[in-house]
This record gives sequence, C-alpha cells and structure tokens, in this order.
Amino acid sequence: MAEINDDESLVKKFNQGDESVFERIVRQYSAEVAALANRLLGWPGEVEDVTQDVFLAAYLGLKKFRCQCSLKTWLFTITINKCRSYRYKCILRRRLTVARLHLGTTPTADRKLVDSETVERISRAIIGLPARYREPIVLRYLQELPTAEICQILGVTENALHVRLTRGRKRLRKELAELIEE
Amino acid sequence: MTEDKIQDLLQNADRTLGPPVPVSVELSAIRGRARKRQLARLTTSLGAGVVLVALGFCALTAVDKSREREKIALLQIQIKQLQVRTNATVKLIEEVLENEQKQRRLNELQAQIINTPDPLEEVQQQVDKAAFILVYHADRLCQELNQTDSAIRTYNRVIEFFPKNRWAEVARQRLLEIKNKKRDKTSSEGDLLWKPQNTSSRC
Repeated sequence: MAEINDDESLVKKFNQGDESVFERIVRQYSAEVAALANRLLGWPGEVEDVTQDVFLAAYLGLKKFRCQCSLKTWLFTITINKCRSYRYKCILRRRLTVARLHLGTTPTADRKLVDSETVERISRAIIGLPARYREPIVLRYLQELPTAEICQILGVTENALHVRLTRGRKRLRKELAELIEE
Repeated sequence: MTEDKIQDLLQNADRTLGPPVPVSVELSAIRGRARKRQLARLTTSLGAGVVLVALGFCALTAVDKSREREKIALLQIQIKQLQVRTNATVKLIEEVLENEQKQRRLNELQAQIINTPDPLEEVQQQVDKAAFILVYHADRLCQELNQTDSAIRTYNRVIEFFPKNRWAEVARQRLLEIKNKKRDKTSSEGDLLWKPQNTSSRC
C-alpha cells in the first residue's frame, strides 16, 4: 500500500512537469524489467530494445496511469506486452533462432550450475511454450511474484492462472521429462 | 514435487544464463524517441488530413468533370441530330432539283416531239410524190415520145403500187382515155382528139 502511495506521489510529480521523477523510476525498475524481458524472451542476453520500448511506453503513458496497481506491476504488464510484440515481430522476420538466443550469453565456469545442454533444453522448452503458458510460468517460478500480482499483470482470474500454470507445467514435464526424472 | 523440480530447473537455468546485459535507459533518448513518435503521429494525422482533403477535392473535381462530360455528351447528341436533319434536308433538296431537271428534260423532249413532223404524213407525201413522178413520166412517154405501151405499163404500175392514191385515179383516167382513143382510132380512123392533162402545174 505504501508502495502505491509512493508511486502516486511520483506520478503526481511527473504530471506537474518534474521529469527527473522518470529518471528515478528508470533507475529503480530497469533491471527488473530487463530481467523479466530476458526471461520471457528465452534469455537472449540483450534486451535493450525491449527495455527501451517499455520505458518509452511508460513515459508516454505515465500521465494516464491511475495508480490502481503498483508502478512495478504496470511496468511488468507493459513488458509482457512489448515482449509479445517483439516475439511476434521476430517470428515474422524469421530472425528468432534458438542458436542466436544462446549466443548472447557467456556464462562463467563458477556460475555454471547446470551444463550447457540442459540449459539449452530448458531454454527451448520455455521458448516453445505458448505465451499464455510461458508468461505465468516465468512470473511465478523465475520472478517469484505472488499470485495476486501475476493475475493483475496478466489480467486474468486466479482460476485461469492456475489452469494456465498447470497446463504449462504439463507441457514442460513432457519436454523436460528426462531432466525431471534425474 | 514435480512443481518444485521444475522451479529448480528453471531457476538453475536462469542463474546459469545470468542476468541480461546491463541496460542504459537515458531520459534524453526516451524524450527524443517520444518526440519522434509524437511527430510521426502528427505527421500521419496531417498526412491523412491532406489525403482526405485531396480525396474530397478529387471527388468534387470528378463531379464537375462528370457534369461537363454529361453536357458534352448532350451537345454531341444534339449535333448528331442536327447532322441527321441537315442530311435529310440536303437529300430532299437534291431530289427536288433532280425532279425539276427531269421535268425540264421532259418538256424539251415533248417540244421536240411536237416539232418533229408526222412520219406517216411524210411517207404519204413521199408516196404521193412518187406516184406523181410516175404519172408525169408516163404522160411524157405518151405525149412527147409517143410510147403508148410504155406509158400504159407505167400507169398500171401507179395503179398497182398506189391503188388508193389520187394519182392512181389519174392513171386510170389516162388508161381509159388511151383505151378510148384506140377504140376511136380503130372505129373511125378519125383524128386523135386525146390531149394529155397538164401535170407540170402539179410539180
């Protein structure tokens, strides 16, 4: 609640012409937005374009923000929409290949928790999921957001979210059966 | 259990792949892009407006053009009708002139016919003349040359060829006179009283 109040004051200041507020918002949320975009897009590593688009949309729409949810939730909603558009454009242009998505990341040896083959399989499985299953999975298991916030971001009911999560898990189980059994 | 496993797998993969490349979102860049977008929207709106105005103008021009076309088409029809009427009038005038010419020619021919002498009459005159010549010739044979036989044959020819002519009648008279003369001569041996009729007056 305090967060929403804080957000309200930020938006109020922005509406009064104090654009430095937006810089603060960017500093505060850009990492989280980039991380979410990275996960939703299957860890391409470089998500600057999408992040820029998210904050551009936020800059243009901040005056219309009615503070019915937190700024973070609102930004995540924008991120999800931008990622959908980005993926759609990529599919259309046939630029999205699994190999390219993995080239962007150069994990170090000490950070390597699972082998590259496993990572690739997981990545493929996540990318292969339809958006309606991928988004709840990412928000729940990677962003670790509470159910209510996920529902707010995706604009769905709790039941619908559970159904999507169940179906998404089922698909992942099927794709990653060997890994899960291990 | 499976849910936890999936979560572990995903989180491990996420940690392995690491966070994205740090993103630098500058307010100036965002402002610039926002201005560009607003400008693009404004340009699009203006463009759409211009296009609409142009379309409206084109539509109005098209209406004017269509009216002009209608007028032209009407005038063309009227011209065609006038041409048809003119052609008909010219044709009528030509026909009238032709008839007049024919009538004139006909009058001329009729005048010529009127002036032309009757061929029957001419033939009659020729016949009359021929009969007269024969009678005249026979008279001379009888009177001047004293060739009575030849004269009789000539008179007989006139009677034979022109039986209904008046000279045939004259020829019969002469033959009768010759006959009478011969009879008188044989009966009384008297003077010859026969005198040939003067035919020269008729020539």
